[in-house]
Amino acid sequence: MLKRTFLGLAGGLLASVALCAPQAWAQAKTEITFARFFGACEGDYGTSQDVAKARGECGVMTTLTNLFNATNKDNILVKPQIIEWGPYYQQFNARMAAHDIPTIAVMHSAQLGDYVRYVEPMDDALKEAGIDTADFTPNARAAVTVGGKIYAMPWDTHSWLWHINLGMFKKAGLLDAGGQPILPKTVDEMIAQAKAVREKTGKPYIVMATSGPGDAANSGRSYYSWMYDQNATIFPNGFEKADFKTPESLATLKAFEALAKADAITKGLDSGGGLGGFLNGAGAIYLTGTWRIDDMLAAEAKPDSPLHEGYAARVFPNLFKTQSVWTDNHTWVLPKGTPAPQHKAALVFLKFLWDHNFDWARGGGHLPARQSLMAEYAKLPQRQYVVDIPTFGKALPHEARRQFGFQNMIGEEVVNIINSGKTAEQAADAMQERSVALLRGR
Amino acid sequence: MAAPHAMRGYRNGFGDRVLFVAVLLLAAIWIAPIVWVVGLSFKPNDVLMRSTGGIVFPPFTLKNYADILAASSVFHWMLNSAIVAIGQTILTLLIASLAGYGFARTNFPGKRMLFVLVLAALAVPEQAIIVPLHTMFAVVDLHNTYAALIAPRLAFPFGVLLMTQYFRAISPEIEEAALLDSASRFKVFWRIVLPLSIPAQATLGIYTFLHGWNDYFWPLVSATKPEMYTLTVGLAAMQTNFAQTEGIGFLMAQAVFAGLPVMILYLFFQRYIVSAVAGAPAK
Repeated sequence: MLKRTFLGLAGGLLASVALCAPQAWAQAKTEITFARFFGACEGDYGTSQDVAKARGECGVMTTLTNLFNATNKDNILVKPQIIEWGPYYQQFNARMAAHDIPTIAVMHSAQLGDYVRYVEPMDDALKEAGIDTADFTPNARAAVTVGGKIYAMPWDTHSWLWHINLGMFKKAGLLDAGGQPILPKTVDEMIAQAKAVREKTGKPYIVMATSGPGDAANSGRSYYSWMYDQNATIFPNGFEKADFKTPESLATLKAFEALAKADAITKGLDSGGGLGGFLNGAGAIYLTGTWRIDDMLAAEAKPDSPLHEGYAARVFPNLFKTQSVWTDNHTWVLPKGTPAPQHKAALVFLKFLWDHNFDWARGGGHLPARQSLMAEYAKLPQRQYVVDIPTFGKALPHEARRQFGFQNMIGEEVVNIINSGKTAEQAADAMQERSVALLRGR
Repeated sequence: MAAPHAMRGYRNGFGDRVLFVAVLLLAAIWIAPIVWVVGLSFKPNDVLMRSTGGIVFPPFTLKNYADILAASSVFHWMLNSAIVAIGQTILTLLIASLAGYGFARTNFPGKRMLFVLVLAALAVPEQAIIVPLHTMFAVVDLHNTYAALIAPRLAFPFGVLLMTQYFRAISPEIEEAALLDSASRFKVFWRIVLPLSIPAQATLGIYTFLHGWNDYFWPLVSATKPEMYTLTVGLAAMQTNFAQTEGIGFLMAQAVFAGLPVMILYLFFQRYIVSAVAGAPAK
């Protein structure tokens, strides 16, 4: 009796396992890992799937991931692996060395050249995913193309702007008849404007963060912008040797020297102090990126804000020949070594992101990577003034290695002109010397 | 019993009062940044974007702390940090004590050379060995484990040096008496010398625990899966890219939150810690 009962129970158990197993297999999710910075914000967006309400890089990325995990029909689960932005690439290097490979990883286009051996070419993958590469903006296309092959899915373009306090510009007589800011066209005009601002408001012309960790990049971006306006490069003779003593480089450095000598730019501020200072009316122009426009618009809306008299975002002005500006891009790469099911799932997720590129541009504060979204993007406040950046913005070619290292080194020397009174020539000498160490071991 | 009398005299003299006020002032200067950090942690981020000056006046908010607690993994990261810091502390004390005793009391071939090597290791910065260290753990596939987070910190030359010097200062006659009574070398170490070295153990233990708790760079490159993050890495990962401008209150709340367990620990073990630093037994 006991034996029969036992056999019956065992048989029933086996039958139920046999019945349930295919269902369980069918329900097994394909997990993909998603390495990124942009922060975590579970407090505000932990369960949110309403992308239209998401604000900020973290909010949009978290909401998009939530939405995909809840709605995708392919049983894919995206598991974010969030890293602090500062040491992101150090950790990424460590992961590559340990063969601990994320399925998808965020990467700046400025870094792509250094990592191209470790990530998959994506021409075929993007086609398979249904992503139309013809829709890439010119800037986005250049950002992800290395040696004629596409190595990443572009996610945005971000660039360098002048954020302008129109109230202070008005006091200094720097608005046109339509109430729009008059931007300088030469270094001399810029210094004349700076003098007018100082005379009429008692404040510096430009507020810029120069002393905090990572703030050197700000000056590096400004340097590149004016170099690109002269159609110049720091690698005029190939990528084995940089040259910071070209006439264009010296002219750029002299522009910073002129600003410093005219006491037209703040000294010794970190990013918190710089932004706080500008929001409190400490200067007429704040140098930072496209990502800060919404914060400025929010400040403008407050009646007690010094920006309440008006705010304008403008492309970093051309003082030399042709309008250009520094750009960089967030892109998504597929590190080599991902198993086929995860690889396939990654493409589904990338297509989902591609379809939500406008949400990123609207909420995250960057320009879209898709040409087809530009008209809609231009309708957002102040964006009509920056919408053309993907057509004329520039970055170093991918053949130039250690681009973040160069940007910081250049920035530090520009900061030395601003904060410590170095001359343009001294800064150029220092850049030249330091570039040798940066390129050593290429 | 001389100490309480001395303390009474200390409080009565004019010069001592001046000294007392000076110490109070120094303490206030030292504690001011901490008060500022705590104050900022209760302020809304959008207010701090404009100014970090006023911490006394409203508005105040608990949102920065709520945002930390909303992270589903935060207590798991805290547990990881506790396991790593406690594991490192216990094992470091054991290894440094044994090694220190060996150097202080025993003789073996190459002892002097080995001790010089230990001292030389004091001069090697962490950054210089991080790549081979990472490669070693990658080869044995130990990254993203507690073993990988704890083991590299156990080679702690300062701990060996500290314990060696402490053991050398203990009178050898006590041990000789025990050895004459046929006690083994290990028994002498375990029963007699180790209890005498409690102040040094406490100093080393506190230092090791704090180092383990605050460690960032090694956990960053070794623990790459979020479930293996320590608190320092996890909290840092939560920061947005522009935390220094748009998330100052959140940053400060993170600093307070990460420091809180250590502060609580200090409150519980205050008298032991003070006596350890003073080099006197706790009463």
